[in-house]
Amino acid sequence: MSTIFGFFGCGLLSLAAVATGLRLQRFPVGVRIAVMLAAALAVFAPLGDLSAAAYVRGVTGDLSMTTLVLAGAACVAQLTGQTVIAPRDLRALFWLVASAAAFLYPFALGWTQFDPYALGYGSIVFVTALLLVTLAAWHFRRNVVALIVITAALVYLIGAYESRNLWDYLIDPLAALYALVRLLAGLRRGPGPHAELGIPR
Amino acid sequence: MSQLRLASLVAVALAFGGLYYRILVAPSPGGFAPPQAAPRAVSSTTPLYRPQLLPNSAERSVHSATAAEISGGRLRAFWYGGSREGAADVAIYTSIYSSVEGTWSPERAVVTREAAQRHLQRHLRKLGNPVVGRDRNGRLLLFFVSVSVGGWAGSAINLMVSEDEGGTWSAPRRLIASPFFNISTLVKGSPLQFADGTIGLPVYHEMLGKFGELLRLDAEGHAIRKTRLSSGRSSLQPVIVPRSETEAVGFMRYAGNPPNRVLMVRTTDGGATWTPPVKTSLPNPNAAVGGVLLANGPLLLALNNAEENRESLSLASSTDFGDTWRIAHEFDGDSSSLHPPMREYSYPWIMQDGAGDVHLLYTWGRTRIKHVRFNRAWLAGRR
Repeated sequence: MSTIFGFFGCGLLSLAAVATGLRLQRFPVGVRIAVMLAAALAVFAPLGDLSAAAYVRGVTGDLSMTTLVLAGAACVAQLTGQTVIAPRDLRALFWLVASAAAFLYPFALGWTQFDPYALGYGSIVFVTALLLVTLAAWHFRRNVVALIVITAALVYLIGAYESRNLWDYLIDPLAALYALVRLLAGLRRGPGPHAELGIPR
Repeated sequence: MSQLRLASLVAVALAFGGLYYRILVAPSPGGFAPPQAAPRAVSSTTPLYRPQLLPNSAERSVHSATAAEISGGRLRAFWYGGSREGAADVAIYTSIYSSVEGTWSPERAVVTREAAQRHLQRHLRKLGNPVVGRDRNGRLLLFFVSVSVGGWAGSAINLMVSEDEGGTWSAPRRLIASPFFNISTLVKGSPLQFADGTIGLPVYHEMLGKFGELLRLDAEGHAIRKTRLSSGRSSLQPVIVPRSETEAVGFMRYAGNPPNRVLMVRTTDGGATWTPPVKTSLPNPNAAVGGVLLANGPLLLALNNAEENRESLSLASSTDFGDTWRIAHEFDGDSSSLHPPMREYSYPWIMQDGAGDVHLLYTWGRTRIKHVRFNRAWLAGRR
């Protein structure tokens, strides 16, 4: 099961990269669909022993729900021309992901004996903190944050990935880097209505 | 409250109810499985010391041997070999040692890069260190390093399982042990068993930092817990030697500033927490060590007994579980009559078999794996 989930996730990321790179929404709907179908074939079809998705998986490993939701939203945005995630939701998500990454990654490099990644194997404190964040997101209607946490928790509980660490279902370095870049770009640009995912200014 | 809002709140409750339930029903981790109190058979009282090179008919470069005792008092060894370290043709090889005949079988490949890549559905660039151990059900567990991108700092660990003493193997499974795309986790030290049936796997990380950790794996080989053995940028390749359910000592290769010494950590709570690493009196030229606690002692450490090079390999012995050491023997080095082209003796793996004999495997000049078998009677004569 983990291979199928992981494989699908990396394929979705590849499709999002193709769609966003080509800025598919510039083209007629028929062309968008045809390009995405061709891209899906190219991504998932084996090239020798492995497919392009498998090569991506070799580098990235299995992708977090944050990355998958963002990749899915980017695909939908390029296919339909419609914004899927509200800008305020995105901003909240990016701040949360960047904060979590700042907490997780430096310590994971072994700077101290404290290892926040170990909390992901089953810590009441960690899960409670995550619950509070999720309830706050629900209360303030930051729906994408709540959706990602709920999905990550459920996928973690069924053991869909190779990992048994909740962190791996929540965030990954790609999501962290993307969040950081978008936040920095937003800070440089100042407040504005241009933060829709996949929609250029 | 709209129905959608209510449904999402129910979803939050369900998801977190599941997370809390999983934590609350998880068994508390047990201590180390009690080490073997005495050998199953009595080792000969006649001193035995038998060195030999393992067969190597195909590969120009071999490294990082590991071994486990299998049925019939035999040993099954593994190592990696290829045209050079890190080459795409590197595979994991195995050979069987018959303790009766005192000979090794011709080597055969257990896993190649292409086969591992196909099973893991990931691009792999090269294979590296294997280590072998057993779980509570008697299955052989073969862990090996693979790299998809970059050098050894980009490593991940894979696991194959054999239920027939290494004759056939399951498809490899990827272990997840790092949040950075799961890269930079390697193995060198012997796996160990915990009393609760989980497996302890000493691992280390090499990306930016160099530090050791102890992973706990469930019966399916998933990492379910981990404990940091050290931090910073100078300790790697941990080897852990339990003495009781609660006590163990760990040794690590040192990659920091002089003086270059073997690092040591201890635990007294079954591996839940570890003391900060301290430098022992034993030198270490940034090279792996191997350790074993013989039934009824002493503690043995195979190491390069120098601060700057790997041109000799020695045996250190401790009767106080690592507090003090003496060098008992030099296996290879200046006194050796036969030298390989590259004078490097490294990556020792040391273990005791059920008959009480001790087996040491190490890289001999990067071109061969060398095996030394000795017994207590020989060791007693080294005092």
